[in-house]
Amino acid sequence: MKHILLLLAFLPAAIFAQQFVTREGNVHFLSETPIEDIEATSSEASVILDLETGRVAVQVPILSFHFEKALMEEHFNENYMESGTYPKAKFTGTLRDFGALPESGAVEVMVDGSFEVHGVSVDRPFNGTLERKGDEVMLICRFDVRTEDHEIPIPAVVRDNIAEVIAVDIKASLVAR
Amino acid sequence: MKCRYPQVLLLCCALYTAVAGVAQDDMMDFFDEVDEQARPVTAVFKSQRLINVHTCETPGKGEMNFVIAHRFGRISDGAYALWGLDNASMRMAFEYGLSDRVMLSVGRSTFEKTFEGGVKVRALEQMEGGRPFGLTFYSVTMANGLRWADPERENYFSSRLSFAHQAILTRKFDDKLSVLLVPSLIHRNLVDVPGRAHDVATLGGGFRYKISNRTTVNAEYHYLLPRPIQDEWHNSLSLGIDIETGGHVFQLHVTNSRGMFERSFLTETPDRWQDGELYFGFNLNRVFQVGDRR
Repeated sequence: MKHILLLLAFLPAAIFAQQFVTREGNVHFLSETPIEDIEATSSEASVILDLETGRVAVQVPILSFHFEKALMEEHFNENYMESGTYPKAKFTGTLRDFGALPESGAVEVMVDGSFEVHGVSVDRPFNGTLERKGDEVMLICRFDVRTEDHEIPIPAVVRDNIAEVIAVDIKASLVAR
Repeated sequence: MKCRYPQVLLLCCALYTAVAGVAQDDMMDFFDEVDEQARPVTAVFKSQRLINVHTCETPGKGEMNFVIAHRFGRISDGAYALWGLDNASMRMAFEYGLSDRVMLSVGRSTFEKTFEGGVKVRALEQMEGGRPFGLTFYSVTMANGLRWADPERENYFSSRLSFAHQAILTRKFDDKLSVLLVPSLIHRNLVDVPGRAHDVATLGGGFRYKISNRTTVNAEYHYLLPRPIQDEWHNSLSLGIDIETGGHVFQLHVTNSRGMFERSFLTETPDRWQDGELYFGFNLNRVFQVGDRR
């Protein structure tokens, strides 16, 4: 009995090890216009998901986005994202009405939270799916970002080349912390 | 079950609550633990050249930068020559990014019908939270393409050649201010008067300061280290602005050096600011992606 109770005393740590993380999440975005498509990817998104509290947080270094052309990358950092001043895109949020994650199968989830890009935070919901695959939790999320919402100015001369709404994809496989 | 150890149970409950509470706060410390990947400092300058002198910038892998540059006549020529605009000296060049750190370039100036072939290597890059400066090497061979002054005598092709080697030290202090220091060594195979130095060294410095995301002000100065070259050659001082518009960078400047290749502007500048012998000019840079980046 004494041993069982001792075990119980140490159990909390095990039970609450419900945090899943990665530092190599993939983020891709696409700006689509009739003139040109501009896309970039980063594989340096840090994601933490707490299945106990339902909280989730993501951070991506802006400089980790790579483009097809070096010049695009320079303009992205220098002229639009001002990554020297605002080095990261950040998100913190909470899963809406979230129960336990089933042992198999993808579940649709809603997350409410604050999304910060270019130093401007916007509170908004996101849709995504979570799926347990063995020891990993797969996170997939697609959403749109309005450049205007984050005060990213697009000068008139390039307005036809850069979409007002950028489509973002996140894919990350998280492992227990 | 009658619990004989109520105090232990209580402890368990306390621990559960505590850990749950800690877990909440614990979460964001994950990001503190993220080791920021060491990244090179980028966009130190807007262009391959500050005004005349090369910066640490090279085209990205597979990028072709096409340069059209003009230096007009003397501003002091006045209204009759439209302050020099009637009389342009031209240079064009192609600069290709063999990798993100190696550039090959070829150029041609109308001045002395000069051809150039150059190599620039970004040897050390300034790193975020790491190495505080960058070191880039640039070497160029210049060939004078004028007809021989005296075709009757025996002329050698090597007489047409001159060489410049530069170590370009750069530092981006913040988003706005970037500075460079450039010692140069210029070798001329043929000098016009016997006994004058074939090798000339200069020490140059310059900076760019961003006044908006797309506009910078620039300055560069090259000091001729004392050597027996002609007295009439002076130090080069140039002031300018860069305006970047998407795929183009326009560089507008005023300088006392009319030549646009290293031997000319570093060691053979006949004009002086204090005499008002100034030239207006521009470099126009247009980037094309011609090769694969990966």
